[in-house]
Amino acid sequence: MSEASRKVHLNVFLRATGHHAGAWRHPDARPDLELDIDYLGQLARIAERGKLDSVFLADGYAGGGSKLEPFTLLAALASVTEHIGLIATVGTVYNDPFHVARQFASLDHISSGRAGWNIVTGAGSAAHNFSRDEHPEHAQRYETGEEFVEVVKQLWDSWEDDALIFDKKAGKLLDANKVHEINFKGHTYSVKGPLNIPRPPQGYPVLVQAGSSEQGKELAAKTAEVIFTAQQTFDAGRAFYYDVKSRLAKYGRTVDGLVILPGLAPIVADTEAEAREIEEELHAFVDTRRALDSLSERFTVNLNDYPLDAPVPLGKAKPAEEFNGIRSRQEVIIDAARRESFTIRQLLYRSNGGHGHITFTGSVLQTADFIEKWFKNHAADGFNVLPQLFPTGLETFVDKVIPELQNRGLFRTEYEGKTLRDSLGLQRPANTRHLQQI
Amino acid sequence: MSGSERKLNLNAFLAASGHHEASWRHADTQPERGVDIKHYLKLTQIAERGLLDSVFLADGYWAGSGSLEPFTMLSALAAATKHIGLIATVETTYNQPFHIARKFASLDHISKGRAGWNIVTGAGPAAEQFSREQHPEHHDRYESAEEFVEIVKQLWDSWEDDALPNDKISGILIDEAKVHTIDYAGKYFKVKGPLNIARPPQGYPVLVQAGSSETGKEFAAKLAEVIFTAQLTFEEAAAFYKDVKLRLAKYGRTTDQLKILPGLSPILADTEAEAQDLENELFALIDHEGAIKRLSGRLGVDLSNHSLDDLVNLDGAQTTDQVSGMKSRHQLILDLVEREQPTLRQLINRLAGARGHFTFTGTPLQLADVIEKWFKNGAADGFNVMPQVYPSGLERFVDKVIPELQNRGLFRTSYEEQTLRGNLGLARPTNSWQAKKTEEEVHS
Repeated sequence: MSEASRKVHLNVFLRATGHHAGAWRHPDARPDLELDIDYLGQLARIAERGKLDSVFLADGYAGGGSKLEPFTLLAALASVTEHIGLIATVGTVYNDPFHVARQFASLDHISSGRAGWNIVTGAGSAAHNFSRDEHPEHAQRYETGEEFVEVVKQLWDSWEDDALIFDKKAGKLLDANKVHEINFKGHTYSVKGPLNIPRPPQGYPVLVQAGSSEQGKELAAKTAEVIFTAQQTFDAGRAFYYDVKSRLAKYGRTVDGLVILPGLAPIVADTEAEAREIEEELHAFVDTRRALDSLSERFTVNLNDYPLDAPVPLGKAKPAEEFNGIRSRQEVIIDAARRESFTIRQLLYRSNGGHGHITFTGSVLQTADFIEKWFKNHAADGFNVLPQLFPTGLETFVDKVIPELQNRGLFRTEYEGKTLRDSLGLQRPANTRHLQQI
Repeated sequence: MSGSERKLNLNAFLAASGHHEASWRHADTQPERGVDIKHYLKLTQIAERGLLDSVFLADGYWAGSGSLEPFTMLSALAAATKHIGLIATVETTYNQPFHIARKFASLDHISKGRAGWNIVTGAGPAAEQFSREQHPEHHDRYESAEEFVEIVKQLWDSWEDDALPNDKISGILIDEAKVHTIDYAGKYFKVKGPLNIARPPQGYPVLVQAGSSETGKEFAAKLAEVIFTAQLTFEEAAAFYKDVKLRLAKYGRTTDQLKILPGLSPILADTEAEAQDLENELFALIDHEGAIKRLSGRLGVDLSNHSLDDLVNLDGAQTTDQVSGMKSRHQLILDLVEREQPTLRQLINRLAGARGHFTFTGTPLQLADVIEKWFKNGAADGFNVMPQVYPSGLERFVDKVIPELQNRGLFRTSYEEQTLRGNLGLARPTNSWQAKKTEEEVHS
């Protein structure tokens, strides 16, 4: 793709109240509508009004309060939207490839080709909800995860695109020669197939990856088409972008086959001063002691033992190698504190606003400048936007920042095609069964 | 509930082209829309126009001709309908209670209290899709299913109804004292909880059961609120109805806490002759070779050399004790052959309508008579309606049979309640934690 025709891609990370830890207490926020499909439908339609590529849901199987489940929620949103992509996080460790392949295929059919899968391996606390004693190790999770994705792709391909004939006269509903068993036998999974639903409209729903550890980057270069990543500085963003894009060639892939979207948690208003006011308001809603407690868990040091304006005690943090949680997120937090010599308060504020993603408070024009800088200097192909406050933060972004990006020729003015793949400029994968026959 | 206010409950069993096995070849159907959500939305909207209690999806984990997955499909339908219940079949053998509790809770929130779960234990071929060597035995399946359902209910109860104060002023989003771990450790499953979604609007989505074997009946009497069952004659249906309702008392339940809905697969037209023509059209479209193959597999006897016009000879067929799944349906076919002494062609035609459910060919008035007879004489609380041809069969049922039932005072003229539970006349279950607290207050 030529540099001139390259366009920003934007996803909105959907939440009912906002990404700021204090957002739910803000007068604009509607925590009471957390499970209300009409409200969530409104948010998705605001994003669609802004011609965003997609909405995205994080997920987990333990704690985390009360939220709708991604497949059911996105299927319902598919009913009330027409263009916007619908990306669900689904973990591999506590799921079966057959169910996941099927549910994504179903979502892709229901949405006429707008589904995406954010592939994660899953977090440890879930083990106890699935008759398991412990969570597998980082390396094993990735190995099993790769096998899982391979099974899912083979299941999606188990129906050739033209397997269904519907010949009423001849009494031939489908061509049985075009529906295949996969007979997969791996370390962890053995799956016979075929899947019980025809191939998804997109061939495969868009494959998204969000882990930014060494293994995560390699897996992304091998199989992902979109990366969501947390990058706390422009330089770190650019280094990550270069690193991952450089890995693509060895898997026979081109740089535009993988779209890199760092998280960006903005607070936008007409003027910088107004945006700062919103930010202050939001910080005031956070119970500092409790927020530091949960940050301490990630940081593995009790930050409540130090004064708020003291420098972050970098020397005391547990090294990433000994950390069996979201490893890259752990590195990002420490790295940012080191690079920018954060005080505990600064670290807390960043964490409040974007839970590990970069936060930005400014005017509409400043926000557009930020996006343009990262995009044009190859630190990003676009952003995973995390409004700190819903619905107003999303509305301001859509109604003010988007037109500015469009004026600068950086963002689409109409959806390019029908599917999420079309919006992202990604090819529809050929069916591997079909390729084998050729 | 007094006899005069008792009303029919009606569910529509959704299918792409219809429940007749050859319906997809009929000119009225659109089999090419098998995974088109707009097709199912249209069917559901017709059913909602007819004030039906619910729509229902069967499910399984083998290929068939391909279909949408129930949770995603019903969620999409929920967003575009208002009143009608949404019942998904989900089996217990190849799923995790945490995921299922959560997805049903989510569907119940999305539909504002219209979800139902048809609990099945699953069928054999699925084992190979889930890294398992073999399908568990009938007894083990039911035993683990009971555990599965118990966990799911405990997970639904793990959030008390008022666990979310959302109090912006005091900064209390969740009242942690009202969210509980369940720490369940059974023979088959171990689940800590709590669930990651608040209690469903209905407390529990409506629990439906569809197995009619001895184990299935007992399971239903213990925990189901609706039964879908296949009964081929009024007498058998009445015997089944009495049998199951009598079992309720020992579990401390009353007869109106379990609705029995036999399958009813109609072919309707304004005159009997027209309905008969339609039935003959469908018979003519049957693939006999395929039907013989399926029947042979089901009964465990090779019928490939059996002449279509000879009386059915089932020498060597498996007995019901010998089969591991679909026991009651197996017995139903054996009974049918013994009772009616059909030719092979007649048997195939008889089963083609709805795979062993009660079929009916005639006028709307005649069908209303049948429905009234079963309903008033202790054979049914309503029906699981399985039109043989979609969408026309459903349209005729809704536009011609429903008004007749309404005229006779047998069916609602508007939705009474907001939830599926409400429309079925079922009480919302009290949260077990809250019940315990109330009890403690009474005793203190």
